[in-house]
Amino acid sequence: MSRKFLETDSPAWVAEGLITEAQREALLARYPPEAVQAVGLLPLLGSILVGLSALSVLAANWQNLPAGLRLGLLVGSIVAAYAGGEYFVRRGNRSVGHGLLALGLVFFGAGIILTSQLYQLVGYDVSGLLAWVVAGVLLSFLYESPTLTLLPIVIGAAVQTYCTQALGSFSYATAGLVVLGCGGRWWRRPDALVGTVLALGLLWQAGLWVLVSHSKITWFFVPAMLVYAAGDWHPNARGGRALQGPPLVAAYLFALGLALFGETDQYAGLLRPPVWAYLGALGAVLAASVAGKRARGRLATLPDWLLLLPGFYLPGGLALAVATLVVLYAHAGSVLARAHRAGDAEQLTLGTVLFVVATMVAYFKLTWVFLDKSLFFLIGGVLLLSLSWYLRRRNAQRLAAALGSNKQ
Amino acid sequence: MITRPTPSRRLLLQLLVAAQVLYVLGVAAAGYATTAYGQHIWLATSPVELHQLQYGDFVRLRYVAATVPLAAWHAGGTPQRRQGVYVLFAPGADSLATVAGVYASEPRPAAGQAVLRGFVQEVYNNSLELRYNLERYYVPGDSPLRRAKTGPPLRVRVSIAPWGQARIERVRALGK
Repeated sequence: MSRKFLETDSPAWVAEGLITEAQREALLARYPPEAVQAVGLLPLLGSILVGLSALSVLAANWQNLPAGLRLGLLVGSIVAAYAGGEYFVRRGNRSVGHGLLALGLVFFGAGIILTSQLYQLVGYDVSGLLAWVVAGVLLSFLYESPTLTLLPIVIGAAVQTYCTQALGSFSYATAGLVVLGCGGRWWRRPDALVGTVLALGLLWQAGLWVLVSHSKITWFFVPAMLVYAAGDWHPNARGGRALQGPPLVAAYLFALGLALFGETDQYAGLLRPPVWAYLGALGAVLAASVAGKRARGRLATLPDWLLLLPGFYLPGGLALAVATLVVLYAHAGSVLARAHRAGDAEQLTLGTVLFVVATMVAYFKLTWVFLDKSLFFLIGGVLLLSLSWYLRRRNAQRLAAALGSNKQ
Repeated sequence: MITRPTPSRRLLLQLLVAAQVLYVLGVAAAGYATTAYGQHIWLATSPVELHQLQYGDFVRLRYVAATVPLAAWHAGGTPQRRQGVYVLFAPGADSLATVAGVYASEPRPAAGQAVLRGFVQEVYNNSLELRYNLERYYVPGDSPLRRAKTGPPLRVRVSIAPWGQARIERVRALGK
């Protein structure tokens, strides 16, 4: 509770007889003013400014410094940042400590890059930067910190981007390190934010893999759904769901794109990988996911897989668009049904949004050609208004029913 | 909350930091070793967009060996964009190295020949555009390039280490 809120509202509580004046003072004493903390930030801000000035002087004169001195500065800043980080962690100031340790890791990467540049040295594989990922993963195991867990995921994505763009090859070692290192770290201590970022980082790498191997983009969903299946196996339901968010969003956007543009056979043709290889791989992932859901008792989330139905094998044209729309409706309905059973207001909202989106896509897709334009907009507007009214009423009823059953 | 430093964690951190410092020093050592133990070839080039020097210390170099006739492609299949390749150089006129062939796997160089790694940038009807990752050159403060108006032809001395790394050693005006 904020002190400011207490100060402004508590006199009214005394006046209404909710609490006595003595209780009010006791409450106020519990939440001391925070002015002291703001003052405590000043030295930190000051040292950041001094540090920035030193950094800009260095950057301006970097190329004119002798090579030995440059190397010394790089090594010195790495050691200093790590030593400072460990010092602050030991003193109990964990946020500053972890920040400095993260800075040390960033300095290490900068050290590798700047040293290669210093000697105009070119490497033709990623081994130089791989050490950066290794160091990041090891560091994340030494400390209990979300920052230090997130950093190697981001570094891994950056190194993979460099490797695929500049060197033209996919670094399986980098991907493996992020999966085993960062994934292993997350598995042992699941955290919603780290889970989502981890999934995003892995999807990014999967996208780069598709790009480099010149495969059909649908192959992206095999590694993406592997990430999803890993979430199914995780003992912590909330953590697992965080990992599954990004793959689900990707699959949904893909299905939406298919509903919107799938009509032209040209687009659908870009998506068709060899049938048996693709379906076999995706089927294996599905089996792993279902096994995980069964083992953890989460079979209710199985309709998520509706989004992965390979509708793009259908001949293009209206048939494909309609089939995809049916899938989108079924998916939105499954989300609504699940939210209804669990009494989850957030999921209910999500299901409603998905339902409205599917309706809008269906409407634009199917009636634009046939209807007069003014009639088109009129009917569309009426359709959305009545839909929103209906869904609102249903939500209110469901939530009331859920609350009622909770009270009994 | 004060985290008690377990001695093992501090030791592990010290080891990790020591390994990182050694690694950075190792990169520097690789730079020296490439010059000391590497093979040296001269490549003809010219800088492009010299006016970039007004804004930074780097120029982009365009190597003569960046454009290779498709006839020099000595690998199966057709070259793909962004594919990594091995370029075989043979000594040519004026001690400048010229491309003897482009291979998908490392060829065995004859005496006097050298192999440099490169990447297919673009594939045309009868030529290939290659990139050697040696295109960015830091121009030292006292280089005559800084006073040049148009991009003069240059010769670049490249060292190629036995383990495949390469570096620009120095740059000189062509014909000197």
